[in-house]
Amino acid sequence: MVNYGGDEVAALVLDIGTSSIRVGYAGDDTPKAIIPTTYGYTETDEPSSEPANANADGDVAMAEGEEGGAAGTQSAKKKVKLHIGSNGPSLWRAGMKVNNPVQNGIIQDFEPIPSLISYALEQALRCNPSEHPILVTEPAWNTPANRERMAEILFEEFNVPAFYISNTGVLNAFAAGKGSALVVDIGHSAASVTPVVDGFVMRRGTGSLTYPCISLVDTFSGLAHSALPQLVHAHARHMLTTPSSRRPAIQLYPHQLIAHKQPVDAGVAPKFELRKDRLEGTTDSWKQWYEAKEVDEWIQSVAGILDQGWNEHAANTRGMRHYEFPTGYNNYFSGIERHSVGEQFFTHSPQLIASNPNLPKPIPNLISSSLNACDMEIRQVLLGNIVLTGGGSLFAGFADRLQAELSRIHSHVKIHAPGNPAERRFGGWLGGSILASLGTFHQLWISKEEWQEHGRPIVGQRCK
Amino acid sequence: MAGASAADVRSILSLPSAPTPGPSQPRKQSNAAERARKPDGISRELYSLIGPSVPTLAQLAKPRLKQKPNLGGGGRVKWEWQSFKNGARSDSLRLSHWTKAGTDPDAEYPFAKYNVQPTSYVFSQDEYTRFLEDKDWTKEETDYLFELVREYDSRFYIVHDRYEFPGGPQRSLEDLRDRYCSVCRKLVRNRPWAGDEAAKMQLLSSLQFDKDREVTRKKYIASLESRTPQQKAEEEALFIELKRLEQNERRFKKDRDELLRTLLGIESGLPDIQVDEDGLVSAPPDTKKRKRGHHSATAEPETPVASGSATQIISLVPSAPKKAQSAKSAAYDALHCIHRSEVPPAAAPTTKAAHQPVYLRSYKLPTPKVASTAKVAQALGELGISSTRLVMPTRENCAQLESLLETASALVETKKVVDKVEHDIRVLKERMGMGERDSEAEDGEAQTPGDEGAEGEMEGRAQSVVSTRSTRSVRSRKQSSRRSMSISSVDTSATGAMKRKRY
Repeated sequence: MVNYGGDEVAALVLDIGTSSIRVGYAGDDTPKAIIPTTYGYTETDEPSSEPANANADGDVAMAEGEEGGAAGTQSAKKKVKLHIGSNGPSLWRAGMKVNNPVQNGIIQDFEPIPSLISYALEQALRCNPSEHPILVTEPAWNTPANRERMAEILFEEFNVPAFYISNTGVLNAFAAGKGSALVVDIGHSAASVTPVVDGFVMRRGTGSLTYPCISLVDTFSGLAHSALPQLVHAHARHMLTTPSSRRPAIQLYPHQLIAHKQPVDAGVAPKFELRKDRLEGTTDSWKQWYEAKEVDEWIQSVAGILDQGWNEHAANTRGMRHYEFPTGYNNYFSGIERHSVGEQFFTHSPQLIASNPNLPKPIPNLISSSLNACDMEIRQVLLGNIVLTGGGSLFAGFADRLQAELSRIHSHVKIHAPGNPAERRFGGWLGGSILASLGTFHQLWISKEEWQEHGRPIVGQRCK
Repeated sequence: MAGASAADVRSILSLPSAPTPGPSQPRKQSNAAERARKPDGISRELYSLIGPSVPTLAQLAKPRLKQKPNLGGGGRVKWEWQSFKNGARSDSLRLSHWTKAGTDPDAEYPFAKYNVQPTSYVFSQDEYTRFLEDKDWTKEETDYLFELVREYDSRFYIVHDRYEFPGGPQRSLEDLRDRYCSVCRKLVRNRPWAGDEAAKMQLLSSLQFDKDREVTRKKYIASLESRTPQQKAEEEALFIELKRLEQNERRFKKDRDELLRTLLGIESGLPDIQVDEDGLVSAPPDTKKRKRGHHSATAEPETPVASGSATQIISLVPSAPKKAQSAKSAAYDALHCIHRSEVPPAAAPTTKAAHQPVYLRSYKLPTPKVASTAKVAQALGELGISSTRLVMPTRENCAQLESLLETASALVETKKVVDKVEHDIRVLKERMGMGERDSEAEDGEAQTPGDEGAEGEMEGRAQSVVSTRSTRSVRSRKQSSRRSMSISSVDTSATGAMKRKRY
């Protein structure tokens, strides 16, 4: 036990991302529960008087019960039901809207967070949070106010005995077994490059007091992040939904809205019938969210990245791939179509750059700007320890392309990209699991006693 | 009783039993009783091969199987969920973990000992005003710097990353480090020091920081990184060019060696030429410079003889420092019983074939010349020494064996020469004798001493036949008589020689 430096104290690790919340016990190799961060909510009482931002008033129902946690408090004025979990937003409910509290990796809306955490800990994990120390993750560009708020929620509402908040970049480096690394994290909504030295994030550059201000691209900061995955998504969606010479625009109806369909040949107009009874109660936000899911699924099963730069001929030789949408429409997608999607991670066409000045930076530029903000001496160390992680990096051919791009600019580049998809998807959680099960780590926990004694500033002092 | 052995004969004749064979004598057949005592742990086949001289390395005890690990005495271990107090924490947080039942819950937490605090320096206002004043730094900023260094355990990259002193100027990493180190040095120097001087000097040297040097170094790194692709390509090309030149130079050197060897033979002293590695390594920069100077000169090959640098590369005399070194190390060798064997200077010092790998002395035992092997072995056998098997091949023994073999082969050679000379003498003597007899035969006197007489008669008869044909055949007759003489016995040859001398 002492030989490996591990000492498990049944700590919990909570990793909140844009697409999913991962939670499990420290010392495990995969999270015990993965639930979507997106939640559905229905307002059953006086829906007309309550605008869409009703849950911002602070009177949010705690999600309880199984079956997606559909429950609610009985308030005199309004009743907001939250639908959380795998059966939460993905089940069709009349009038259900969906929302995501996390934008660009950081929590923008704290109202549903207690409900989400409660669901994750009490419903999914079935444990009592007051018995377990908890380690929470945060992206490198999180604000001090945000982390303090998180500490407050866990101490005050969940009564945890001890709390710690750690950076996903650092944790990803730890998961790869490195103390110093350049972590390239391709998430669901944000791609980030974080230089980590000796377990600390390099934050130099922006001139702000402690953290860089939140912007899509921090040109001067060592930790560069951009909404690149969103651009990739938008590109794919645009490509699918605009009619072209080869095919008409593809309808992205989710399967919940389809009554029945008939099998059709590839490229032929689909024969399906919508559920008229549901169309009425379907909200725009839910439809948007589900269509986005359809696009994501198409990307995940069809799209790819060429490993040696854009080349139409090479893309064509990759061949066609078949995909069928919930409407029954199916077609073969050519190599060019499939690979132009992934290409958005690395290069943008001149027309796109001209039309959109605030375009997110492609990955190689992010890495260069991040490296340029670092000291000359550690650049070589970082280049030799590039850790590729995040579910977005599972794009077919991503690691090869990154290697090719980087070796064009720098010498001695070494990329660590775990072959196991779980290790990439849950890299941040895994690092947290390792960290919170170390015997030497237990002196770093912020205990409830310390929280009560010092208050909010203790978070910034302890979690450097 | 056909099988009466030598031992039986000896016992009958009441002779002392045969002396035990010496270590270098050919081993006698071990008897059956000896063979019967086969120790355990050796297979019969192996034992019959190696005999009773069992190497000490062979395991004589019967090998046993690996013991099964003893996992905690076989009993069940009871674990319990126990809360503990971490000594590295300042608060009273109690976390719980699984421990073996019966562990003292108040025992010190095993990981608390890793909470090592680095030495942090603090200084008073008085100390600051006395030694630490600096026009670029205020006391507040210095305090802030020391606070950060303590907080981040002297990780200056992080300190520099988090350094944010309100109202202070922009500080580089070197500024921060220089300030920190200089303050610490001054504090160490001016404070009373409890330990010894050496420790103090060591501490001071660990706090040494040369800012200018670091800045220059960083500049170099930056310039290295900001090379354009053209520069990189040029560098690559230069490197290849350099390799080519080195290869050329090596080839020229080889050619020159060849030439010298052909022209001067052994007097060229070539075997003593050492390849001066340093010369080859030090050559690159100046070659590079030369290359940078005139690109067009690439085609012009430089013969090492002509160029000035050739003398650096090739030294005709064995290098002097090597000898000095050997003289110095002689005492060391004597002290540690190290014997350096003279490696014969190879003709081509750099080739692989000339390399002599490590070998066991007993593998390189001197062997007599192939021609005389049998005779030498026979001579040694007469002495009761086996030339092929040396039980204790120490250096002295090997040397002795070698000299013995040399002497033995010299003896055999001498014997051969003696035999040959004796033979010649005999032959000549015989011839002399024949000559006398010829003349005697012409005189009509018959001389018949023993068996030789019969031969002489035969010759005489033959002669008479021949002589009728021609007189000029006297020479051929003589030749034939010489031929017949070669079969003659030993004693006549001796007299023949005597007669020839008189002749």
